[in-house]
Amino acid sequence: MATAPKAKAVREDLLRVEGLTKIYDGAVKAVDNISLTVTTGEIFALLGGSGCGKSTLLRMLAGFETPTQGKIYLAGEDITHLPPYKRPINMMFQSYALFPHLSVWENIAFGLKRDGMPKNDINDRVESLLGLVQLTKLAKRKPHQLSGGQQQRVALARSLAKRPQLLLLDEPLGALDKKLRESTQLELVNIIEEVGVTCVLVTHDQEEAMTMASRIAVMSEGSFMQVGSPDEVYEMPNSRHVADFIGNVNIFDGVVEVDEPDHVTVRCEECVHYVGHGISGNTGMSVSVALRPEKILLSKNKPQGEFNKGKPQGEFNWCEGEVIEIVYFGAHTTYHLKLASGLVIKAQELNSTRDLSCGLTWGDRAYAHWSDLAMVVLTQ
Amino acid sequence: MNKIFSKSWMIAVYVFLYMPIITLVVFSFNDSQLVTVWSHASIRWYHVLVHDRELISAVALSLRIAFLSALLSVFFGTFTAFALNRYKRFRGRTLLSSMASTPLVMPDVIVGLSLLLMLVSMQQWWGFPERGLLTILLGHALLGTAYATVVVTSRLREMDGKLDEAAMDLGCQPFQVFKLVTLPLLAPALVSAFLLTFTLSFDDVVLSSFLSGPGYSTLPMVVFSRARLGLNPTINAVATVTITVVSIAVIVSSFYQSRAERKRKLEVAQAYSDSNQ
Amino acid sequence: MTKILSYLRDLRHGRTVVIGVPYLWFALLIAVPVLIVLKISLSEMETTSISSMISWADGWPTLKLNFSSYLFISGDTLYVQTYLSSIEYALITTIICLAIGYPFAYFMARSPKHLQPMLLMLIMLPFWTSFLLRIYAWKTLLVSNGAINNVLLALGIIHEPLAMMNNSFSLLVGMVYSYLPFMILPLYANLSKLDLRYLEAAADLGTSPFKAFWLITVPLSKAGIIAGSMLVFIPAVGEYVIPELLGGPNTLMIGRVLWDEFFSNNDWPMASSVAVVMILLILLPMALFNKYQSEQAEGKA
Repeated sequence: MATAPKAKAVREDLLRVEGLTKIYDGAVKAVDNISLTVTTGEIFALLGGSGCGKSTLLRMLAGFETPTQGKIYLAGEDITHLPPYKRPINMMFQSYALFPHLSVWENIAFGLKRDGMPKNDINDRVESLLGLVQLTKLAKRKPHQLSGGQQQRVALARSLAKRPQLLLLDEPLGALDKKLRESTQLELVNIIEEVGVTCVLVTHDQEEAMTMASRIAVMSEGSFMQVGSPDEVYEMPNSRHVADFIGNVNIFDGVVEVDEPDHVTVRCEECVHYVGHGISGNTGMSVSVALRPEKILLSKNKPQGEFNKGKPQGEFNWCEGEVIEIVYFGAHTTYHLKLASGLVIKAQELNSTRDLSCGLTWGDRAYAHWSDLAMVVLTQ
Repeated sequence: MNKIFSKSWMIAVYVFLYMPIITLVVFSFNDSQLVTVWSHASIRWYHVLVHDRELISAVALSLRIAFLSALLSVFFGTFTAFALNRYKRFRGRTLLSSMASTPLVMPDVIVGLSLLLMLVSMQQWWGFPERGLLTILLGHALLGTAYATVVVTSRLREMDGKLDEAAMDLGCQPFQVFKLVTLPLLAPALVSAFLLTFTLSFDDVVLSSFLSGPGYSTLPMVVFSRARLGLNPTINAVATVTITVVSIAVIVSSFYQSRAERKRKLEVAQAYSDSNQ
Repeated sequence: MTKILSYLRDLRHGRTVVIGVPYLWFALLIAVPVLIVLKISLSEMETTSISSMISWADGWPTLKLNFSSYLFISGDTLYVQTYLSSIEYALITTIICLAIGYPFAYFMARSPKHLQPMLLMLIMLPFWTSFLLRIYAWKTLLVSNGAINNVLLALGIIHEPLAMMNNSFSLLVGMVYSYLPFMILPLYANLSKLDLRYLEAAADLGTSPFKAFWLITVPLSKAGIIAGSMLVFIPAVGEYVIPELLGGPNTLMIGRVLWDEFFSNNDWPMASSVAVVMILLILLPMALFNKYQSEQAEGKA
């Protein structure tokens, strides 16, 4: 599920958005000139903080907001100005919006009845959906008689009932508590893949986006910062903002010193980075080096250069600092290291044995070192 | 000390509120012509009441007006509440909300006078409407609309606007959304708005006095004209009948409401314990 | 018919109708009547009808305004006094209602949760029973041979009946009695929503309960105090039924004057002018009330 989309025979573009813009009150740009394509069978996540425009974008896809500019095409057809009740798109709402006066069965059948489907067909369809989300026994209950997880499954069944070409999910797991969320994530993706529906998902939770989506668009201030698969966005962020938004990151500012096709070095105040691949830049350019905490190793003694791949020992990819904070998470521990320049970096060490592996404590001097493939050079 | 003080304060207020009502009821069973001096218990004044033609026809008129006015009030009140709650931005919204809350606070004499003068002007131009049931009805419906708006608004605010969108998303056109989702959820509020506006109309004396024409006396108008002249035991009997009917209605409806609420809470608790097993 | 339906089906037209219907209704029954009252107050009384205000002189419409009734009101000490005493009675009523109602609402909001619906219903119940009959009930209680005097005489507390009827006392009792629920309900609604953690935080920071009440509870219930006071004050200024049934010759209230001008003297311009001045007097409190109402609406949205 967290892997790249499975290769199917032909992948067609299902949803195409061109230059979509939404301006409120003539001034506030909630969504700013966004274009995107979603292919059939994909789970596409819009990830961003509150107010980044992801919900507005989703609401425009559903038809609840009219775009100020731009076009929305579904399977080649222009649906920009189609009202929500005429779009072959269904939505699973944040906190579900189940009809409180209708039973589980009636909630799921609601959309089918509006289409004038024959009674027997409705029965069959609802029964099979109830089976799919394992709620057959609770069909007669009202929403308030269900737990949060059950309500979520009813909402999913209801949004799948009309077999929409595109399913929109608005913070699908936001209302569940943390423990339940993990198991539900898997369940949700399994059901979606079983049905084979294309999804656009909105979330502020990066973990949710990473585990569920095949592609992620990181949004900020109404624009896409980066679009890519979960591992691309995490391992190869294209900007400080994306690196910072997804996971933790240490950022070093520096200047490109050596620029070769197979490696570059970046001189920073704290250390010199030896990066084992080329970049699109040139000598003398100011860049940022992003380094994830889990890719840093700590030791009490000066590293012997095993990460420098035979380059002059002790010259690259290490720095020294004082341990000023230790945060224990159970599975791992994060150490905050204050360097001579004043920069504080975080290093995450896996607690692979029950005695804490590094044996570092507050006030200790420690050495941080990392591999030549651990970091990303950011030019913006 | 604090507890005793707060309890006695509350009891004193309830005594203040209920003492007049209780005396009214007690003295309605007094045989004496004097309302204030107890002689012995009887239902003499109820006999008088049943045979009082003027009172009976006034009751009939009041009931008719109250029923129609409550219908109109709920109808227009629902529209007003919708306009004010579902459309946050439109030109003249402030004016509409001010107009809708004006009858709540504006002294009755002003509302009555201004409505009457308008109706008189209309009559001068078009010869319509004649003062009577229709004009009283208009006044009561105006007052009722303001109250119904408040009741429906508070329910609309509680309701999740997302439900409308969900219905639309599943293929409902706007009118279907209203019929299939909004209206069923609004129903309890519409019932309470109906009962409230019915009572308001049944109780009003000032607007009716301004707006009625010859031959159209509502129950409060008759009661008022008799009360102005002095104390009258038949009024006690009328009061007792009204109070009994209203109290039973209010107590029964609030009993059902609280029972439904309790049942619902129990079911919610049940759902959570089920899912934790 | 089908044309109308398909017209309504369009989302934008639906919006026009939903806004338009209540707009027309209130415009017809509030705005137009008030304008007509304003117009009539500025015209002269002729035998049966109101004189036309616009006359055509040299082909130009000229507005004929007649301020005579306003001049009369402002010149006549009786009118001025009546307005002042109406405001005075309404103000005293509001203060007494607040003094009784605030502690009551506060205690009610602090009483056990399962009792609150019943306590609230007991406040509402008199409101559902006829206002007129409850005022009449006070009449039977307060007259010199009424229940209260009889009880006090029988207990030997007093030796001759107290004069409690047809004076400011009976008027104020009736006004406070009728308007008390209007004070209690918004106050209770406000106080019951008050987050007790504020008071706990205040106690935690070393504030005494008495000080906490003045520094936290009262300021936070300001909206309820304003709403309740306006709901009492504004209608009380123009009250007619209570002064008519419980007041006396010396308790001047403007509502009664308006009624008499209209029904006894048949002087419509005068009655209209009295109404217009009354509207001007309550305009500021009304604006306050409306501001509070819309703030409530926005706060919840």
